Amino acid sequence: MFLQQLLNGLTAGAVYALIALGYTMIYGILGLINFAQGEIYMCGAFVTVLLLGTGQVNFFVAFAAGMAAAALLGVALERVAFRPLRGFHPLVPLISAIGASIFLQSLALLLFGPNDRPFPIQFNFSTITIAGLPLSSLQGAILAAALGFMALLVVFVRYTRYGKAIVACALDRDTARLMGVNVDRMVALTFFIGSALSGAAGIMMAIYYNATYPRMGLLPGLKAFSAAILGGVGSIPGAILGGLLLGVAESLGAAYVSSGYKDAIAFAILILVLLFRPQGILKGRGD
Amino acid sequence: MSAYFLHLAILGGIYIILAVSLNLIVGYAGQVSLGHAAFYGIGAYASALTALLWQFPFPLAALSAVLVSGGCGLALGLPTLRLKEDYLAIVTLGFGVIVDMVFLNLELTGGPDGLPGIPPPRILGMSFRPPVLYLLLTLLAVVLTLTLTHRLVHSYHGRALRAIRDHEVTAKVMGINTPAYKVAIFTLAAALAGLAGSLYAHYITFINPESFGLHTSILALCMVVLGGMGSLPGAVVGALALTVLPEMLRQFKAYQDLIYGGLLVALLIWRPEGLLGRGKLSLKFLQRQ
Amino acid sequence: MLTLKSVQAGYGRLTVLKGISLHVRPGEVVTLIGGNGAGKSTTLRAISGLLPPARGVVEFNGADLTRLPPERIVALGLALVPEGRRVFASLSVTANLELGAFHRQDQKQVRRDLEEIRERFPLLKERASQAAGTLSGGEQQILAICRALMSRPRLLMLDEPSMGLAPRMVSRVYQILRELKDEGTTLLLIEQNARAALKLADRGYVLETGRIILDGSAAELRDDPEVQRAYLGKGYREVWE
Ligand SMILES: Nc1ncnc2c1ncn2[C@@H]1O[C@H](COP(=O)(O)OP(=O)(O)OP(=O)(O)O)[C@@H](O)[C@H]1O
Ligand SMILES: [Mg+2]
Repeated sequence: MFLQQLLNGLTAGAVYALIALGYTMIYGILGLINFAQGEIYMCGAFVTVLLLGTGQVNFFVAFAAGMAAAALLGVALERVAFRPLRGFHPLVPLISAIGASIFLQSLALLLFGPNDRPFPIQFNFSTITIAGLPLSSLQGAILAAALGFMALLVVFVRYTRYGKAIVACALDRDTARLMGVNVDRMVALTFFIGSALSGAAGIMMAIYYNATYPRMGLLPGLKAFSAAILGGVGSIPGAILGGLLLGVAESLGAAYVSSGYKDAIAFAILILVLLFRPQGILKGRGD
Repeated sequence: MSAYFLHLAILGGIYIILAVSLNLIVGYAGQVSLGHAAFYGIGAYASALTALLWQFPFPLAALSAVLVSGGCGLALGLPTLRLKEDYLAIVTLGFGVIVDMVFLNLELTGGPDGLPGIPPPRILGMSFRPPVLYLLLTLLAVVLTLTLTHRLVHSYHGRALRAIRDHEVTAKVMGINTPAYKVAIFTLAAALAGLAGSLYAHYITFINPESFGLHTSILALCMVVLGGMGSLPGAVVGALALTVLPEMLRQFKAYQDLIYGGLLVALLIWRPEGLLGRGKLSLKFLQRQ
Repeated sequence: MLTLKSVQAGYGRLTVLKGISLHVRPGEVVTLIGGNGAGKSTTLRAISGLLPPARGVVEFNGADLTRLPPERIVALGLALVPEGRRVFASLSVTANLELGAFHRQDQKQVRRDLEEIRERFPLLKERASQAAGTLSGGEQQILAICRALMSRPRLLMLDEPSMGLAPRMVSRVYQILRELKDEGTTLLLIEQNARAALKLADRGYVLETGRIILDGSAAELRDDPEVQRAYLGKGYREVWE
């Protein structure tokens, strides 16, 4: 029972971590929270579900297309709602992003209606029992994929030219420009990557809960934000750790404390962290 | 006066209080609240419940709405207002979601069905059920709110608040206790939203969670941004415009949120000072730094 | 090579540079000296594109830099070692050096340059994977200079490279600059430490409240009574030898 809850928590947590990475990377480079991150997550899920619904597209192609659509939406969002407002009081781009988030959500509502859509293809996931613990291979697959994406991101940031340039922009924008780094391009690249990860998270949750709907991004967005704060906004390892911790706390809390208020647990954690350790567990910006 | 006009005027008055109070947070504390409708809802439920359960007369019910909402504002503001703008926006968004969840799940609040049969106000034996009288009552509350905020904004404290908004660091250096100011303004704004909620509950006489969700918070934010962040007359005009316009554009109801969202982005790009903001020069915090 | 014609620049409504004209020829070491707040750093920000000039023209090898962003300017061969070093503190020493060559496309040559610079400055090799923020101030200054060199500049601009360093590190930094000069690198050097700068430079300009009030060969400036009084005066501690 406990191990099962732990595993459930890790699965959800890995997905939160993927979204939290988007928040944290964008915060690192712009010093702003991308409020529409949850809608990007929703966009990834919808594109994949719609493509698979046609019955013409291979699962992996649809998955990649969902991520790509989310990434492009993120880049477009930055161009429309953030870039023209750079240099203003942070309140101004923040409200603009809130507007964009509402806009995208209601657009999806108009286009797709309010109801849940099931995931179009059924997987024959088996349940293996190891030492009396039923282990669903669906959870295993989601966990593995999420961790794989995270590893890719860490490698990208640590070891590639563009990864280092993004970190340089986050640390010291002017000096990065003196090195020949085009900050606008790095910001766009950051939105691209962060949004692709959120899109992947959306698709995985669409499979896991077998539901895709316009407001699906609201709660995971909130929880991932809490995870990013928990880990220390701006820190990539922090976002990963924060996401996993939050997922586990939520799952255990729902099992042992109260399941009716499962969604409130992340929020309680957020408030506690803000009260006692606002810089997060791993303080940091740009690493 | 037609009944329909009276109805719009009363709703407009309630929204003025809501928008003016949110404008205090946005325009004077430099923060965004996405949970303003939650305070509005808390006020509405507090007022309705005290009237239904304990037969509180309207003035007492309204007072309890103000106190409960203000208390919640204080509790939420204390841990969060020391932090960056973005944090408060997300914390208040989360707060709105949780409050919504509580209204939906609690037996006390009637769950999704809400609370019917809220008594219309009766003060000194006089019933305010007729819309004309209710409008007078609402106007009284509006005048009270506007006087209070106007005096606050033009007092020494108002200047301190503007200093915080425009140059938080400088304000701190000057010895202004910025967190205390922010918490105070946030509490006051939450209390005023509670008053608006109370007026709404006793006017419609039936409330359910639907009226106090994210949609309403966004509506209030649109009113503030449309009129001009930090402008009192702006908040009034924004509230009236967004009370009347949706009524005139009934056939586009499905597009309402789409329009509000697009409106926010478009306004900030093309006219960040809003309709009545005093232009870019006087509103330092809207300028590029 | 580099020419400024009546350049004006400032912050908001404040005009800091009130019309600066100067030039640097290939192979020269030119210094710009002036007191606190004279506008020295602002001049370099205007040249490097971080603060586009409000008026006037900046030309480099015949190209007009006036409206170019910094990332384009560095690609033309103009590198700046900024005031206060500004190394990327949480990135490794090697990553800092690699970022210096960010605009270059010739990755193979970049690798070779990296090796060469590490041979020349063993410090950078020993500390290769250490975070740059953990280096001492002087070591960071050397890293900042090498990072700029990684862009293969045709003209290297330095903003107060001796600022805040222990005397031993100041002489180390100036030794490096002298080596660069001997190799024929063109330098535009900004200093408050006028004595050290004038010893190294061929020519110099004196900047005061946004205007150039004096220019001439380094020897002339050293002998100028006004410069001696204001920048080399008695009581000015010799830190360079
Ligand atoms: N970011 C800025 N915003 C506003 N004013 C500035 C800014 N940076 C510099 N200034 C002003 O511009 C003037 C010139 O500054 P600058 O940094 O060019 O001087 P400097 O000659 O480099 O001085 P120092 O030797 O102290 O480095 C100063 O009066 C300074 O106050
Ligand atoms: Mg300087």
